[in-house]
Amino acid sequence: MNRLSKEEVLHVANLARLELTEEEIDTYAIKLKEILDEVDKIKDIEVLSDEVMISPNDNICVLSDDKEKEMLTKEEILKNAPKKYADYIEVRGVFE
Amino acid sequence: MNYLDLSIKEINKLLKENKIKPIDLVNEAFKKIEDNKDLNCFITLNKEGAIKKALELENKEVDNILFGIPIAIKDNIVTKDLLTTCGSKMLSNFNPIYNAHVVDLINEKNMIIIGKCNMDEFAMGSSNRTSFYGNVLNPCDKTLIPGGSSGGSAACVSAGLVPLSLGSDTGGSIRQPSSFCGVVGLKPTYGRISRFGLVAFSSSLDQIGPIARNVYENALLLNILCSKDERDLTNVETEKEDFTSLIGKDVKGLKVAIPKFYVSDLIDKEILDNFYKVVSILKQEGVEVEEVDMKYLDNAVCLYQVIALGEASTNLARFDGIKYGYSYDDAKNIEELYKKTRSEGFGAEVKRRMMIGSYLLSGPNAKIYYNKALKIRKCMSLEFSKVFEDYDLIIGPTTTSFPCKLDKLIDDANKSFMDDILTIPVNMAGLPGLSLPIYKGKNNLPIGMQIIGNRFDEKRVYQLASFIEKKINLRGENNE
Repeated sequence: MNRLSKEEVLHVANLARLELTEEEIDTYAIKLKEILDEVDKIKDIEVLSDEVMISPNDNICVLSDDKEKEMLTKEEILKNAPKKYADYIEVRGVFE
Repeated sequence: MNYLDLSIKEINKLLKENKIKPIDLVNEAFKKIEDNKDLNCFITLNKEGAIKKALELENKEVDNILFGIPIAIKDNIVTKDLLTTCGSKMLSNFNPIYNAHVVDLINEKNMIIIGKCNMDEFAMGSSNRTSFYGNVLNPCDKTLIPGGSSGGSAACVSAGLVPLSLGSDTGGSIRQPSSFCGVVGLKPTYGRISRFGLVAFSSSLDQIGPIARNVYENALLLNILCSKDERDLTNVETEKEDFTSLIGKDVKGLKVAIPKFYVSDLIDKEILDNFYKVVSILKQEGVEVEEVDMKYLDNAVCLYQVIALGEASTNLARFDGIKYGYSYDDAKNIEELYKKTRSEGFGAEVKRRMMIGSYLLSGPNAKIYYNKALKIRKCMSLEFSKVFEDYDLIIGPTTTSFPCKLDKLIDDANKSFMDDILTIPVNMAGLPGLSLPIYKGKNNLPIGMQIIGNRFDEKRVYQLASFIEKKINLRGENNE
């Protein structure tokens, strides 16, 4: 098979929270498969160990001091919100 | 008088002697930007802020070499109350409520922020054509792409609009446009500079870095960008260093490796010939240069697809139309709000990369591809460490080819990353890498070479770069 099914493409689009046109669905059905075929070769690459590298740094767990800090104000946080109601950011209903 | 064409040292002297004022530099920069409007280097100009700052500085002592120097900032680095768009419609109305750590450092040194540089949308692209605000032209030839994603940052320095700029580099986004525009761009060691306030693309690869006209001035800017910041937990505390300290020092006896992959037949012949001209100069000067085998390097594109796009798809999940940025107005429910906002707010390349990233992280793919990619990444990094046991530096060309025409179609998914095969491995291993203009090639286009150092060894990268720069004397100026 040299393309993904429409359902598979729509599933991925849903994960990415994107809406696709019929034309885009068709393009991604082919493109995603192409990329998968390309990336597929990493399965065969021999590795020396099972050690993974998530970050170039050894992530040392740093704890913050348990002290009060100056943080952002309510006004600052609300400043860029597209929809506001009084001191709140307005959001569409999550439950129908 | 063109003060901005002088070296930073000379400008500093004139400021100290009170022969010029910071406002002269600011006015000159805006005049030059206006005269070169067609280059489209900037998304937002900080005219009011820059003039205000310049006038304030008239009452202050010129206490450091970067005092009063105009600088341009890539538009994915947040600046308080100054529009920060990331080259996207998604953030076309976004006025940040705080400064990135690097912006605070620049302000502390009393540099003057001139504006925010155009870039590929969310730093996704290598040609600057994915910007919502139109593409940047290459100042060396206006029919060509400037490279990307830090295309505006490289082009504005190349065109002499400002002496310094900041870019960011995830897979070559500082080095490739620097090479295409003939300027000096450094991607520092991962963790060297705080990423606080850099809008994340791929958090384990991204790094902010300086772009300058020459090696010395690049190092001057790096000098002020490194200070421990608790707000970025990947930021590493290092001793205060002067990155200019090895500039001008003899390079005899340095051991330098050229990975065979970096001189393969994938690279344009003219670029290779010019690179080898530099290699022969180095050999004459007593630098030991040897070719080495590094078998993991040619997996760069695969690793980038999986790791960078995987991280990107999760990082960009934050754009939901609720907290800031573009928001679809008429949504009936929250799902529709997310989907319509993102589909209308993001451009085609960003959506494409999020689709790929989401796909490669979904279900069983995560284990098959993502985990395997992280193991290969480890091998690639160990291979670099092994080379650095025997060699001080690694060199090669920065790019495989010359910049293409602006109207050339953006190639397909896999090919579009091929340009970055020489730069991506450096991000994977978290190493410092610098692109240095060497000779001019066909049609007088600049050619860049890459100098890669061991982790936190930027000083030695600068040492070799400045030596080559002086030997070739491309800009015909004394850099110190």
